[in-house]
Amino acid sequence: MDTQDHNLKEPLEQEGLTVTQGVTTAVPEPPILEPEDDDVVPQQARAKRHVPEWFEVIWSNRKARVGLILLLFFILVAIFANVLAPYSPTDISFGPSQMPDSQHWLGTTQAGQDVFSQLIYGTRTSLIVGALGGGLATIIALVIGMVAGYMGGIVDEILSFFINLGLVVPALPLMVTVAAYSPVKGPTIIILVIGLTGWAWGARFKRSQVLTLRVRDYITSAQFAGDGTLRIVFREILPNMLSLTVLSYISAAIGAIGAEAGLEFLGVGDPSTISWGMMLYWANNGGAMITGQWAWLVAPGLALAAITSCLMLINFGVDALSNPQLREE
Amino acid sequence: MALLEVENLDVTYATKQRPPLFAVRNVNFELNAGEFVGLVGESGSGKSTLGNAILKLLLPPGRITAGSVRFEGKELTTLPDEELRQMRWRDFSTVFQSSMNSLNPVTRIEAQFQDVMAEKSDLSNSQIHDRIGELLQMVKIDPSFMRYYPHELSGGMKQRVALALALALKPKLVILDEPTTGLDVLVQKEIMHNLRTLQREQGFAVLLISHDLGTVLEVSDRVLVMYAGEMVEDAPTHGMLKHPIHPYTHGLLGSYADPAAEEVEISYIPGRPPDLTRVPKACPYAPRCPEAIPLCRQAKPQLLPMWDGKAACHVAQMQWNDEQHNHTRHSEEGPKLLDAAFSEATSHKAMKLEGEEVLRVENVSKTYQRRAGFKTTSMNAVNDVSFNLRSGKVTGLVGQSGSGKTTIARMITGTEYPTSGAIWFGETRVDKLKGRGIHNYRKHVQYVFQDPFSALNPVHTIQYLLMRPLMNYGKLNAAQARQKVRELLETVGLTPAEQFETKMAHQLSGGQRQRVVVARALAPDPDIIIADEPISMLDVSIRAEILQLLDKLVRERKIAMLYITHDLLSARLLSDEILVLNQGHVVEQGAAKTVIRQPTNEYTQLLLEAIPRLERPDHVRASYVPTAEPTKVQVDASPVSEE
Ligand code: SF4
Repeated sequence: MDTQDHNLKEPLEQEGLTVTQGVTTAVPEPPILEPEDDDVVPQQARAKRHVPEWFEVIWSNRKARVGLILLLFFILVAIFANVLAPYSPTDISFGPSQMPDSQHWLGTTQAGQDVFSQLIYGTRTSLIVGALGGGLATIIALVIGMVAGYMGGIVDEILSFFINLGLVVPALPLMVTVAAYSPVKGPTIIILVIGLTGWAWGARFKRSQVLTLRVRDYITSAQFAGDGTLRIVFREILPNMLSLTVLSYISAAIGAIGAEAGLEFLGVGDPSTISWGMMLYWANNGGAMITGQWAWLVAPGLALAAITSCLMLINFGVDALSNPQLREE
Repeated sequence: MALLEVENLDVTYATKQRPPLFAVRNVNFELNAGEFVGLVGESGSGKSTLGNAILKLLLPPGRITAGSVRFEGKELTTLPDEELRQMRWRDFSTVFQSSMNSLNPVTRIEAQFQDVMAEKSDLSNSQIHDRIGELLQMVKIDPSFMRYYPHELSGGMKQRVALALALALKPKLVILDEPTTGLDVLVQKEIMHNLRTLQREQGFAVLLISHDLGTVLEVSDRVLVMYAGEMVEDAPTHGMLKHPIHPYTHGLLGSYADPAAEEVEISYIPGRPPDLTRVPKACPYAPRCPEAIPLCRQAKPQLLPMWDGKAACHVAQMQWNDEQHNHTRHSEEGPKLLDAAFSEATSHKAMKLEGEEVLRVENVSKTYQRRAGFKTTSMNAVNDVSFNLRSGKVTGLVGQSGSGKTTIARMITGTEYPTSGAIWFGETRVDKLKGRGIHNYRKHVQYVFQDPFSALNPVHTIQYLLMRPLMNYGKLNAAQARQKVRELLETVGLTPAEQFETKMAHQLSGGQRQRVVVARALAPDPDIIIADEPISMLDVSIRAEILQLLDKLVRERKIAMLYITHDLLSARLLSDEILVLNQGHVVEQGAAKTVIRQPTNEYTQLLLEAIPRLERPDHVRASYVPTAEPTKVQVDASPVSEE
């Protein structure tokens, strides 16, 4: 690879403009080439390893690494639930309210289902609700926050009004009310409720991000290049706040998982759903405390704690992406 | 014993993700008590890293990997942090470019001094109060300002407060890292002058780190020049001005000239510094050096004494050896060094084009209303300004920040509307355009930004960035646009184009980025280009290169250019006509040469005086014809190994 800098001169020379051809020594000498490298080489070398840089940054953070491994574990459990679970979670052929033993590691429910199998299948619900509920909230937040921040003026005033409304209306009672009155029950409606009530904080966050980004020169430059508003918002601004968006997506997912469990525990879920929240609900109603079935109550609680903390751990690594000061050596 | 001794210092930035960067390598120098020394280098030369390493202020992943730093004989590199903390402020202190922003915003100026002084000195409160007054007076601030909060002061004043703070405990050494960069030229000049006077009176030592050789030469006793992490020259100011030893120093000096001279010419250094993730085994300057000989690519030159200073250069050293043996040769003869230069005589002006009018600004004024409580104050940003832009001509708009020059640019591009007056683009009233009209108008008026680091979106490739305007305005499809991108890159001198297309902005140097910014402005084939301080953020050694590029475009494409700057030297070189703007008023207007050579306004004269006036060293060392075998020369001929 030849170097650009020497080539830079050529067109100018052809112009007969400036570059004075001088001879500095009497001895003819070979042209001096720049060393065969410039900063492009390490970049290519990095690309060859097929590990994108963002992943390396996250991975090099110890907390995030633990979180990622844990998340992978949960995902695998969710995918292979039917292989891993010893029984069907809805099978009621076992004796009710058994204590943990070698047949039923975590005992059975009041209705005679295997708690351990329910725990494994429950992973699916939590992950799906987290991914979709958090995703819905993030998408709404993105669109509203970014348009408000970029357009400014009256558009911003109106959208900000809705954002503030979303912030001051207490989320949990709203969710309970909406979920309780909805004609159908089940995870889908819970995802929708979570998405529709949980975006306000993220929207505000994104709006303020856009406010700082939209005054950058490259945004003005895109305007001069003739790009339209939507294109500027989604192609010029959004990629620059990707790590922050991921950050708030993960936070929203944590919120969604917690909210789902909470709603179900309060009894507004579909009773036939297999999920950790529903397990807690049944354990509570089935008198797990009275019969001393600690495992029925503790296991889903611990699972919920584990999945939310693993997502939070990942967030430490994502944080390091947007703030190099936090990167670990 | 010198006050500060730096010996064989190496600083490396090593992270897991990237190859280590050898930012400072084998640096040796001394600083005597009471000496004012400048440390000059361009971006990436390691000068700030060196400054931080001396005071152990390096941020990870930067680390001192070898060598020693001694302050009054005491080794600092191994000193425990607690002891070092004791020495800060009292023995040495620092002022950074950002110091003015690090004043605590919620406490008064006085309290900030008290914090520093109460802890480290045993003065009583009233003594401290008196001393603060004294310190502020020293930096030419009225003592009554000590009751103010930092945000109530201007940037220049805050920076002076930071300087006074650094001097509060009478340290023996003050390290200043770009202390005036980013401030207005006149303020810069004043602070530097002030600093020099103080230093003479009080006798503390100064290490002034700067990218601007001109400023440094004006105030320092001695100058150290760094290139690519190595010290390449260490010489007294006087000698350096008359007779720079190292070719790089010579190249840097070429960027300065007296704008009021009859003929003005500045030069640049083609090429860019090497990548420091690999330790250069030979002279790091060799790829750009006009004097290089084969030996330069084989062995690394050592920093050795010659003439009145020290330099790391094979050729200079051979000449010095020659001169030692042969006293008849004099150093002040010989051929000119090879320079890539830009002068008025080679610019578009020499063609004496008669441009036709493209844009007319008629009696334009802009007033901003500001509401504070019940009071409404109005500020006249621009006052009754008229001029026109002609195709193939450059109009220079010169002034400091706050002079209204950017407001004028914004009105011309339609981003802001004038309060009164009119702007005509042919038959179109620019100041009446809205929405779609502005979009269409921008095809004709493009902008070159000041900061090439923020004008290119870091997430896109160069190709994407250049395709956008082509597809938006030129109505090309993607394939045609891609073809045109190559042409554009070639026009701005980025060849081979294929190599640049796929890169992201952060993979390019500052000068290359600015070329991309120019290419983007060219893409819609505009009639007018507004260049807003296009060279002020670039390294001094490549500024002339970008000026040359802009000049070429004006000439070839018959573009009308508005060149906005605070720098009269570049304005003189590039512009046909100059308007000097002071607080919204045009104080001087006329042909470039006339305005600068015979300024009638006081303000123009002030601006002129602020430019470092260095004589161009055109008497250069005798050319060296290697008569002796290079091996005779005292150099470390074995290639320096990595690490
Ligand atoms: S050693 Fe050679 S390449 Fe390096 S500066 Fe001297 S002459 Fe130029």
